[in-house]
Amino acid sequence: MFNVRNRRHFSEQCFAFAARLSLIICAGVLLFLLGSIFTQGISALSLEFLFTPSSSFGKSGGIFYQLFGSLLMVLAAALLVLPLALGTALFCNSYNSNTGLAHVMDQSLYALNAIPSVTYGIFGLIFFVNLLNTGISWFVGSIILAIMMLPTVTLSTYQAMAAIPKIYHENAAALGLTRTEIVRRVTLPQSFHGIVTGLLIGLSRAIGETAPIMFIATAFSGVTVPQSLVEPVSTLPTHILELAQQSTDPQALQNAWGASLTLVLLAAAFSGLALFLRSRLNSEGHQ
Amino acid sequence: MSTASLLRGKIAPRRRDVTKAYCQASAVLSIVIVSVILLTLLIQSLPVLLSGDNGLLGTRWNPDEGKFGIIAPLFGSVFVMLIATIIAFPIGLLTAIYISETRSSKLRRFIKSVLELLAGIPSIVYGFIGVAYLNIWVADLFDLQSGRIILTAGILLGIMILPTFLTLTEDALSAVPQRYRENAKSLGLYRHEVFTDIIFPQAKVGIAGAGLLALGRALGETMAVMLVIGSLDRLPSPLFNPLSSGQTITSKLGREVGESAFGSVHFSALVFMSFILVSITIALTILSHYFLTRKQADV
Amino acid sequence: MSLLNPQLGLIRSSMFKKSIFGLSAFILAACSAPEAVNVSGSSTVLPAVSLAADTFVKETGISVVVNAGGSGSGFNQLAEGQTDIGMMSRDITASELEKFSAIDFTKIAIGRDAVVPTISSEIYEAGVQALTLAQIADIYSGRVDNWVEFGGPDRAIFAVDKEASRGTRQIFMGVVMGNPKAETPGTDLVTGSNNEEQTALTQSDSGIGMLSFAWLNEDVKGLSIILDDGRVIAPSLENIRNGSFPFVRDLLVITRSDMKPTAQQFIDYLLGPEGQDAVEQSGYIQVSK
Repeated sequence: MFNVRNRRHFSEQCFAFAARLSLIICAGVLLFLLGSIFTQGISALSLEFLFTPSSSFGKSGGIFYQLFGSLLMVLAAALLVLPLALGTALFCNSYNSNTGLAHVMDQSLYALNAIPSVTYGIFGLIFFVNLLNTGISWFVGSIILAIMMLPTVTLSTYQAMAAIPKIYHENAAALGLTRTEIVRRVTLPQSFHGIVTGLLIGLSRAIGETAPIMFIATAFSGVTVPQSLVEPVSTLPTHILELAQQSTDPQALQNAWGASLTLVLLAAAFSGLALFLRSRLNSEGHQ
Repeated sequence: MSTASLLRGKIAPRRRDVTKAYCQASAVLSIVIVSVILLTLLIQSLPVLLSGDNGLLGTRWNPDEGKFGIIAPLFGSVFVMLIATIIAFPIGLLTAIYISETRSSKLRRFIKSVLELLAGIPSIVYGFIGVAYLNIWVADLFDLQSGRIILTAGILLGIMILPTFLTLTEDALSAVPQRYRENAKSLGLYRHEVFTDIIFPQAKVGIAGAGLLALGRALGETMAVMLVIGSLDRLPSPLFNPLSSGQTITSKLGREVGESAFGSVHFSALVFMSFILVSITIALTILSHYFLTRKQADV
Repeated sequence: MSLLNPQLGLIRSSMFKKSIFGLSAFILAACSAPEAVNVSGSSTVLPAVSLAADTFVKETGISVVVNAGGSGSGFNQLAEGQTDIGMMSRDITASELEKFSAIDFTKIAIGRDAVVPTISSEIYEAGVQALTLAQIADIYSGRVDNWVEFGGPDRAIFAVDKEASRGTRQIFMGVVMGNPKAETPGTDLVTGSNNEEQTALTQSDSGIGMLSFAWLNEDVKGLSIILDDGRVIAPSLENIRNGSFPFVRDLLVITRSDMKPTAQQFIDYLLGPEGQDAVEQSGYIQVSK
């Protein structure tokens, strides 16, 4: 009775079952993660929570200065990375004809992407905090975050540039435009969406980073708005880290959920905006 | 050539040089940054490498006595990574198969966006969930005194790398043209045979790339592991016991870098561990990109 | 489009970029932050200092930035000039002084505290309420593995240790093992701050660990110490105050000779009535008493 056909049929059923089961497991994990962050966090979240400073180890009060610090650092990082990523992507796209150099560039960007976040923190500690003697500084944190964002933004920009139909360049060249003029009038405007989405995705990742900034840019309490570039700030991720170590205290726990939900919502907002802009700017077509 | 273009030729060069120079400078700066980072790490590792009896290849970590055995954290990193891949790869692959066979493209897009959302959850939040839930569940499940063990770190890490691996694997599977599937079906192959004989050979390079990328991510993850691994600088006994606390390179770095004096041999030992880690993750990433971008020969 | 071009050109021109870079480098290299006082170090001293800082800022307007990291980290940061005041829950070691022999450090005690050998409440209620130092040493060196050897239930001992640079650990190991940097083969779990240790002991039902006196509560009970002459010293406020409990220590703030006037102001505040109030509210003992 167990002939070849039945055996194959049985294998197929097992295969299909396993695939379906995996999907259910994945969906379950996903629901659990997002669900717990949401349901636990929502009870801690309120306008008051967002705008009150924290106190007594973070157990009471809110997360205002942490929110401010996080946003300050990542927005400064975005401003820092934008010119560099733009220049690099332009170089790879419009100004480079040396394939050896292009290969080195590729590998460099991959290498930057591969460096673990804690190593970035160590590098920042060695190079900026100690060798350049800046001390604990939020701006140094932004610099490090900018370096971390560099591969993502550069790649996204470059892909957008490479996607510009050749016909545009050909038309422009036929009109007698120089390389730089082509860059300014064709490449940049047409790849604008790539730049913006790359930045937003980079921002989404940068805002959740803890390890790079916890040695070099943050303090536990007492910081409000920094008055100079060489002061620490408090940030959401490091705040959650501190609260996570007090996990038996229900108050601390609840505040940690609130802070986690805020962080996840911010990261999701950045990447959601990126996805939305990507589809919208793409569908608008080329002028 | 008209007068206009002649004139332009005279006025334009200055601006073009500026833009071109700027772009060249940016590109060079990008390369320089990587080199500076790696060089800094290497130079700062030298003190411990040059100090005679550093015990680097041992298992004892006692900064006071100058013993910096990296074997225990290294073993922990690999062990945790193994557990994570055992969890993430099979489930990720099977789910990716299911998704790639879905015909509705709207559903596919929806799932992809949800996956991207999941991949965007910061690692500290995973770590917090590990402390708040996973620690306790694992302790209850195995009747342990504490859930801060290698297994918990492995499970947490597996959940973290799952979305990334899933997305990339699904991309690789979907990249196989539909006509292969149709041909196979018309030949009477069952679904699992379509996969094992037709799709998988085509996609395996992309899947390998996805796997390597996920491995790199698992090795480099700090916050989530740091909170749930137990920070015990010892090899587990027996050796492959996931129910004991342990230590990974990233967790050790996260906890000790702030506590060691800059310039000391202790600090240098930590930087050296970081350098080893970076070398491994960079190698994995470059290898994975090589796989991911290799063009498939047509069957 | 032509209107945009000059601006794009300006932003991308390398001169503009160079000047932005130069400006930020200049600012970075400029003097460090204004009056704010930076304090970092021991997680034991942190609550008291943090509480005092909250009221200090309201009274004087000088902000106090507080950071954790442990006694060792606080000392290192102070010595390297990255912080103004270091918090330590132990004394500076000889090797630390040696490493930074050029600097003049001042130690000021702002409170008193004790490191208490702590056990899970389940073990405490099962009858194990006092141990000798040698017995505790046996647990951490791995010679004894089960509570039944001390009259407790038949359960494996879950020994919780702390990171090696933590002041709390160094005090504990110094008294129990005779060596502040002792290695402990009997350890099952290593934690960082007092908070983490307290969490681990709360979640376990057969644990032993080391906590600052201020962290004891219903779930984590302090052991009394049986001395050589047979006396049993409980970890009570009185025994800590009069120094008879073996693990008594001073909570220190450390400064360098070249500290800011605002840092001095804060230290005076800590030693004053409001600061000492904060010390007591955090569960420690005031120095003035």
